[in-house]
Amino acid sequence: MDRRTFIKGVAGAGSLAMSGGLAMPALAQGAAKTLHFVPQANLANFDPIWGTQYVVRNASALVWDMLYGLDASGTPQRQMVESEEVSADGLTWTFKLRPGLKFHDGEKVLAKDVVASLTRWSARDPMGIMIKASQKELVAVDDTTFRWVLSKPFPKMKLALGKTNAPIAFIMPERIAQTDPFKQITEYVGSGPTKFLKGEWVPGAKAVFERFADYVPRSEAPSWLAGGKKMLVDRIEWVVMPDPATAAAALQNGEVDWWEQPLPDLVPLLKGNKNLNVDIGDPLGNVGSFRMNHIQPPFNNPKVRQAVLMALSQEDYMRAVAGDDEKLWKVLPGFFTPGTALYTEVGGEVLKSGKGNLEAAKKLLKESGYNNEPVVCVVAQDQPITKAQGDVTVDLLKKLGMNVDFVATDWGTVGARRALKTPPTQGGWSMFHTWHAGADCTNPAAYPAIRANGDKAWFGWPESPAVEAEVVSWFDAKDLAEEKAAIGRLNKAAVENVTYAPTGFFLSYTAWRKTVSGVTQGPLPFFWGVSKSA
Amino acid sequence: MSLASDHRPAAPEGLAIAPALPDILKAIKPRTGVTGFLRRHPTIAVGGGLLLLLILVAGLAPYLGTVDPSALSPARRTRPPSALYWFGTDMLGRDIYSRVLYGTRVSLLVGFAVAILASIGGLAIGLVAGYVRWADSIIMRMMDSLMSIPPILLAVSLMAITRGSVGNVILAITIAEIPRVSRLVRGVVLSLREQPYVDGAVAAGTRTPMIILRHILPNTLAPMTVQATYICGSAMIVEAILSFIGAGVPPNVPSWGNIMAEGRALWQVKPFIVFFPAAFLSVTVLAVNLLGDGLRDMLDPRQAKGH
Amino acid sequence: MLGYILRRTLSTIPVMAMVGLFVFSLLYIAPGDPAAVIAGDQASPEDIARIRANLGLDRPFLVQFGEWGWRTLHADLGTSIFTGLPVTQMIGQRIEPTLSLMVLTLIFAIVVSVPMGVVAAWKAGTWIDRGIMTFAVLGFSVPVFVIGYVLAYVFALQLDWFPVQGYTPITQGLGPWLGNLVLPALSLGCVYIALIARITRASMLEVLAQDYVRTAKAKGLGQKDVLFLHALKNAAVPIVTVIGIGIALLIGGAVVTESVFAIPGLGRLTVDAILRRDYPVIQGVVLLFSFVYVLVNLVIDILYTFLDPRIRY
Repeated sequence: MDRRTFIKGVAGAGSLAMSGGLAMPALAQGAAKTLHFVPQANLANFDPIWGTQYVVRNASALVWDMLYGLDASGTPQRQMVESEEVSADGLTWTFKLRPGLKFHDGEKVLAKDVVASLTRWSARDPMGIMIKASQKELVAVDDTTFRWVLSKPFPKMKLALGKTNAPIAFIMPERIAQTDPFKQITEYVGSGPTKFLKGEWVPGAKAVFERFADYVPRSEAPSWLAGGKKMLVDRIEWVVMPDPATAAAALQNGEVDWWEQPLPDLVPLLKGNKNLNVDIGDPLGNVGSFRMNHIQPPFNNPKVRQAVLMALSQEDYMRAVAGDDEKLWKVLPGFFTPGTALYTEVGGEVLKSGKGNLEAAKKLLKESGYNNEPVVCVVAQDQPITKAQGDVTVDLLKKLGMNVDFVATDWGTVGARRALKTPPTQGGWSMFHTWHAGADCTNPAAYPAIRANGDKAWFGWPESPAVEAEVVSWFDAKDLAEEKAAIGRLNKAAVENVTYAPTGFFLSYTAWRKTVSGVTQGPLPFFWGVSKSA
Repeated sequence: MSLASDHRPAAPEGLAIAPALPDILKAIKPRTGVTGFLRRHPTIAVGGGLLLLLILVAGLAPYLGTVDPSALSPARRTRPPSALYWFGTDMLGRDIYSRVLYGTRVSLLVGFAVAILASIGGLAIGLVAGYVRWADSIIMRMMDSLMSIPPILLAVSLMAITRGSVGNVILAITIAEIPRVSRLVRGVVLSLREQPYVDGAVAAGTRTPMIILRHILPNTLAPMTVQATYICGSAMIVEAILSFIGAGVPPNVPSWGNIMAEGRALWQVKPFIVFFPAAFLSVTVLAVNLLGDGLRDMLDPRQAKGH
Repeated sequence: MLGYILRRTLSTIPVMAMVGLFVFSLLYIAPGDPAAVIAGDQASPEDIARIRANLGLDRPFLVQFGEWGWRTLHADLGTSIFTGLPVTQMIGQRIEPTLSLMVLTLIFAIVVSVPMGVVAAWKAGTWIDRGIMTFAVLGFSVPVFVIGYVLAYVFALQLDWFPVQGYTPITQGLGPWLGNLVLPALSLGCVYIALIARITRASMLEVLAQDYVRTAKAKGLGQKDVLFLHALKNAAVPIVTVIGIGIALLIGGAVVTESVFAIPGLGRLTVDAILRRDYPVIQGVVLLFSFVYVLVNLVIDILYTFLDPRIRY
């Protein structure tokens, strides 16, 4: 009998003790089978195609299943698909669905559902758009077979359908998938391992997932998005905590079981608690980014951009973002995820020391002809990562002798403002910060931030034929050696162009109570295989 | 008839509900001069003294052993208080002692500016409403609707549409405070209008501006001064709350609210980051409120000597 | 008197209308684009424009306001831009925690502060009075989140008497419900206690000095009877007034308290909505809070006519 139960037994032992005993939520009966999880952010909307925030993707992976799934080695494995066939010319893909797949409303998963889902997805996803550009037809052949005919081979088809980055090609019932891809769906029926309990959803506070009894997991062991997604708990409750201090306290107190992304500074506290496990959450980590506007002064001058890159101390950025724990971050002299096949440091000399070279940078800035044009630095304060980076950047630019106009705002405003191409003083911008999941930065396929195709490029509109040429040569590469060579040249060209300024590579922790087992590392939290003892 | 009925006691308006603090020292015999004044009004002495000290701190911040409050040093982050960093360092390695001292400037600026602006704005609106009959109900209804939006929500909403700056924070809090002042002023004006000597002045043909200047203004000054001190205190708290919510002065400005907002996630592990600005804020607001209590006792002898 | 009540009730209509116009135009001119937030980090400007058009955000002001006003009158507050859920439903989900917190805080504050004020007035000038009043000034000098953190640290983490966060619906039992609310109500209550204790003391002092109280004393009524029967009854008007004004304070405080204690209430909904520019939600919540404020003050004004027989209309 634990202390709480004891207090409860001695009812009437003073009002304070009373309420202490009663403070335990009345979920005692099913507690062992409900997993309480604190996600990294609020699940504010729930359409994985319409909204691409990481938190939406993570929740969606519980509810919707996918045709392929990336495993821990980065290889796409069959998930809903039983078998596929590619014609010799690489133009016709024929897929067959696994038998017995069912949606949460009891309907069978049919090929027409898949066709509708892929149509909606390919209108929004960068890789999907590439496929769609050469699409001749996408049709259901029969209930379990569908065919995708292209005019140009797309060898990375399985990767496109099984990748981890949003938007993921989730399969929804046809009636839902027919929603305009720019409109939010209102029904959350999937064929994944859990059902979404819409009635219990309180955006900003709570989201509940219940095990789907009719889910037929694959027989393989689970690995990331691949393998058998067996649910070992009955219910998963996502509890949104706006305040990290509260989340830490709740985890210490046993009111929640698993905290996806503890604040690095609170990790020593959690590590010191004998009831908790703390480990790196996603070994692929994140790449910090400081992005400049290439079409407006002063950053339309490559020398000014290079001066900033030369001055920036990744160590400062990383300490501000990830704290003093040096296991959590490293200097990144390039744009690709460390520890993955294509990682390269070619051409990244200027960043290697991690400390920056302020004096040399000042000299370069002088040579560049920088004429004290204002640098409008828009910084989202509601995201700890962009906020910390912004504070460091302002300090850096001041030290460098630039004329900084610091605009503290929120992510929504940054999102709107960064799309404007007007001069910074007329509502435009000079720079903003963000970060990219390491899983997205392993190659250029789903990495728009690395592209430098001018007007069509991501915000900042960098233009560098050298960068673009190497992106093409990576897509065309025949083997890993060729891919590596292309990425090396790409890295060098992007550093010279300062397509964006990487501020370092950082990891984050995840923390869970010892009563929970089966937590694995990966780019998103995987709930299959996770169990909870009393 | 305006929304909040006119028969309500004049005193309770927002934080102005501040009845007398008891005299801490009994006045033995009336003395003259500063000493005598301070002995008769100990709350003014304590509150005013503390406030004066804080104003000195704010003014002399650069000479009190501080460094640049926004100089980063990520390699020396979250250090506990020591001989080198008296109040420790924050998440970006900035010196908290320097930030807190410079923060005094921001908090006092916000507090005083809001108090003054809200008084002037409230005075103008209240005078017009109290004097111009046809405008009264329109103005007061507008004030009622402003007042019915909780001040913090109003300030947060206003901050959401403007760019975070000290000026905008001051403006947002001022707008939220004006209705209360104008209501107070209007109340005073309405009661004075019925006074025989005002009637007399009107009968004697004195022009309205003259009546306002000679009779009305002097009489509103006392309650307004008291009200202004409470507004000053509450503005400082609202500033901290706005920063806490993420809608306050820009984060590169060292304000107490910002220091606390940034450090609050770490209150369990690095409590000193929140402690020092919180202590300064509390003491300052306390000083202002004590001063307000003292002023009220002094300016409204009926209440002070009532018992 | 009936006429007064009627007039007083009708007078709330233009006030609410003005709040509506104010809230709507405030957010209309707000910068920040919800469409950009929704579209996510990798969306193109065309994607964002399409989403904006789909949300109807590209239409002229009057069209949007007219439509909004009409729907609001029919208790339809629109649909959240972010969640796609009806605003009324989102408010409905969150009204219980906030209401519970506010009611509990209010009860708690009155129970603590009125006796404090009465005692302070009774013992005016003594150290008891001084102690109580010093505490009262302190109460609104310390920011509510600091009080919250200290209480959570001591009573939840160290002593483990209460949970640190969350909310349990009252349907799951009075105990758990109370357990979750004690600390938030305590932190939120401090300002309120300070406020009510001060006003109670002041009005008691005034009443105690009046002739009929002296008469009551002279008639030989006991101290307690004098204090609680006669005096407090007459001090009720200003106290009730403070409660009405304090509602606004309470709502503001709830925004902070709900964040500190992770209570899924309306305060947090508002902050989240503001930070995300979820216009329909902000409009709905601010309108609701204003409505509550106006309603409470209406009730209080009507109460006066019963509480204070000297007031006649």
